[in-house]
Amino acid sequence: MAAEPHAGLASARRLPRTLAGLLMLLVLVCVVSLLLGAGDVGPDRALAVLMGQGDAEARFVLGSLRLPRTLVGLVVGVSLGVAGALLQAVTRNPLAEPGLLGVSAGAAFAVALALVLGATATTMRVGVAQLGAMAGCLCVLGVARVSGARNDPVRLVLAGAALTGLLLSLTSLLLLFDQRAADEIRFWIVGSLAGRRLEHLLAILPSLLIAGGLTLVVARPLAAMALGERVASGLGHRPGLIRLLIIMAVALLVGAATATAGPIAFIGLVVPFAARALAGPDIRRTLWLCLPLGPLMVIVADIISRLLVAPSELPLGVLTALCGAPVLVTVVRARRMPTL
Amino acid sequence: MLCNAPAESKLRQRTADTQCIDATTITAPAGHWRLAWRTPGSAEPYSLLVDRQALAAVLLLLVALIAASLAYLALGSSPLPLPAVLPALVGRGDMMVVFLVQELRLPRLAAAWLTGAAFGVAGCLMQTLARNRLATPGIIGIDNGATAFAVASVVGLGVSLAPPAMALVGAATAAALTFGLAAGGGTRGYRFIVAGIGVGAVFGAITQLLLAQVHIDTANAAYPWTVGSLNSRPAGAVMLLGIGLAFGLAAALWLTRALALMRFSDAVASGLGLRITQRRWQVLGVSVLLTGLAVAAAGPVGLVGLIGPEIARSLSSPRGVPIMASALSGALVMVLADLAGRMLLSPIEIPVGIVTAVVGGPWLLWILLRPASRNLA
Repeated sequence: MAAEPHAGLASARRLPRTLAGLLMLLVLVCVVSLLLGAGDVGPDRALAVLMGQGDAEARFVLGSLRLPRTLVGLVVGVSLGVAGALLQAVTRNPLAEPGLLGVSAGAAFAVALALVLGATATTMRVGVAQLGAMAGCLCVLGVARVSGARNDPVRLVLAGAALTGLLLSLTSLLLLFDQRAADEIRFWIVGSLAGRRLEHLLAILPSLLIAGGLTLVVARPLAAMALGERVASGLGHRPGLIRLLIIMAVALLVGAATATAGPIAFIGLVVPFAARALAGPDIRRTLWLCLPLGPLMVIVADIISRLLVAPSELPLGVLTALCGAPVLVTVVRARRMPTL
Repeated sequence: MLCNAPAESKLRQRTADTQCIDATTITAPAGHWRLAWRTPGSAEPYSLLVDRQALAAVLLLLVALIAASLAYLALGSSPLPLPAVLPALVGRGDMMVVFLVQELRLPRLAAAWLTGAAFGVAGCLMQTLARNRLATPGIIGIDNGATAFAVASVVGLGVSLAPPAMALVGAATAAALTFGLAAGGGTRGYRFIVAGIGVGAVFGAITQLLLAQVHIDTANAAYPWTVGSLNSRPAGAVMLLGIGLAFGLAAALWLTRALALMRFSDAVASGLGLRITQRRWQVLGVSVLLTGLAVAAAGPVGLVGLIGPEIARSLSSPRGVPIMASALSGALVMVLADLAGRMLLSPIEIPVGIVTAVVGGPWLLWILLRPASRNLA
C-alpha cells in the first residue's frame, strides 16, 4: 500500500487508455488463435473463412474447433484472473493463487470423486467442481486465519502446496479404482482447452454471471478492507460478510474454470501481478485490468501449446507453469515482499 | 555421536594438553557412555562418546526395520508362512517359495531399503543445511529436476546417458537453480523453499512436456518416474544407488560433527572452528548425490525425506544430527509404504509415491499449521 499518491493518480488517469489497448491486443490475439492451429488448415485458408468464403473443411475447423476453443479460453482466463485478484485481496497475500493454494485441486478432486461414484453429466460436473473449490477455499482461508500464516505470505503458499499435493495424490488414488473414470479424466486433469464444445460454456455461464454480480458488489468494500478490517467496519462495511461473498465468488469462478479446462495453475498469480504493476494497488482498477489480461495470457499460452509440438499438442497447464513459476520466484525474491 | 580426542578444533586440543586430563577420571556427560582406550605407542588416549538415546533409537529402528522386512517378504498376493520364508532366504525349501522370495520380493525389498535410506539421509542433510525441517529435497524441487532429466533420457532426446546419470545431472541442476535463485535470502527461511517450489513446478512442467511429445508406449515406460514406484525399478539404477549410498552414508557420518555445529548461526559455527562454506558444499553435494540416485531407482518419493528424519529426530536426542537413524527410519517408511501399497487394494497396486503422499501430506500440513512452529528441534 506504499505507492505514492501521484503514481496512483497517474495510473488512474491512464486506466481507460491501458484498458483499451489491452482489449485491442486481446481481439488481435483471438483472431490469431482462430488463424493458427496444429492441423492442415493454415492461416490463408482460415483467413478466407473469416472473410466469408473458404472451403468446407476450413469452415468446419474454425467454427467447431477453434472458435469454441478461443471462447473457452476467454471465459477461463477471465475467471481465473479475477479469482486470483479476489483471493489475493482477501488474504492480503500477493502469492495467493487458486492453483497454488489448492482451490483448483479441490475442484479436481471433487470431479474425480463424482466420476468414480458414477456421475456423467457435464452440468453436474460444474456444480461438483464448484463445491470442491469452495471446500478448498475454506481450507485455505481457515489456515490463513488459524495459524500465524496470516503474517507470512510464504507459509500460506507452502500450506497450499501441501494441500495440493495431498489432493492430487488422492485423486490419482481414486482413479486407480476405476479405469473408466481414469480414461475420462486423464486428458482433463492436466489442464487443456482442446476439444471443449460450446455446450460446456453454456453450462458454466449462469454461475459466471452470479460470480460477476458478486464481484461488482464486493469491489468497493474490498478496496476499503485493504486499509484494514477495523477501518472497513468503521466505514460501514461488514468484513465477515464480504469475506464470505468473496469466497463464494472465487469458488464459483474457479470451479467453473476447472470443470471446463481442468486445473490450470499460475494464471491467478501472474495476471493480478501484471495488473497491479499496470494499475497500482487499488483492487477495483486491478479487477478491471484482469478482465482483458486473463484471457490474453490463457489464449497466448494456448496458441503456443498448439504450435510448439505440432502436430500434437501440449497441455495448457504445462505452459502456464513454465511462465508462472519464474514470476513466483521473482515475487518471492523481491527484497521486501509486497504486502497487500 | 563420535568424538575423537584429537578434535577438529586445535583450540580444544591445546586446552586438553594443558590441563593434563587423566583419561580414567573423566566422567561422561549425562546421557552418554564414554569408551576410552589407549593405543600402544601413542601418548594421547582415544575416547568415544556414545549418546545413549541415539544408540537406543538406532537399535529400535533397526529392530522395527527387520520386523517390517520380514512382514514384507511374507505378505503379498500369495501369503507365505514365516517359517517357510526364513529358509527360502538361503535357498532352501519349496522351489516356488524360494522363487517368490529370492527373485520377486527380495530385490524389491532391497530397492525399498536403499531408496528409503537415501531419501532419509538426503532429507536430514538438507534440513540441517537449511535449518528448516521443511527444506527436504522433495519440496525444494530437486526430486522434480531429477525426474525431468530421467524421463528425458527414457523418452530419448538424443541423449545417450543412462537414467541414473541423467537424474544426477537433473538433481544438481535443480539444486543449483534453487540455491542460485534464493541467494539473496540465503538458505534460511521460507523464501528459499518457495523458490524451490517454483523450480519444482518448472521441472514438473518439463516432465509433462516430454511425456506429451512421445508415443504412448514410451510414455508408459517413463510412468514410474512420474509417480514414484518400486514396481519396475531398473536393476542397474539400484546397483548404482547401493554404491552411492555406501559412499554417501559414510560421508554423512563423517560430516556429523560439522552438521551438529551447522545448526547454530553461521557466526557461532565459524567461531567454533567450522569451515562453514566448505562444509556446506560437501553436505549439499552428498544430499544431491543421494537424491539423484534414489530418484533414478524409484522415482520421486520425496516425502520419505520429510517423514524419515522427522521420526528419527523425535526418537533421538536433540544433541546430535540423527544421520544413521534417518537412514533407518527412511528405509522403514519406504518398506511399510510399499507393503501397504501392495496389500491395500490387493489386485491393484498403489504406487509407493502415492501412499507416501497421502500419508505425508497431512503430516506436512500439520507441521506448517502448528501454532508454535519450531524450526529444528
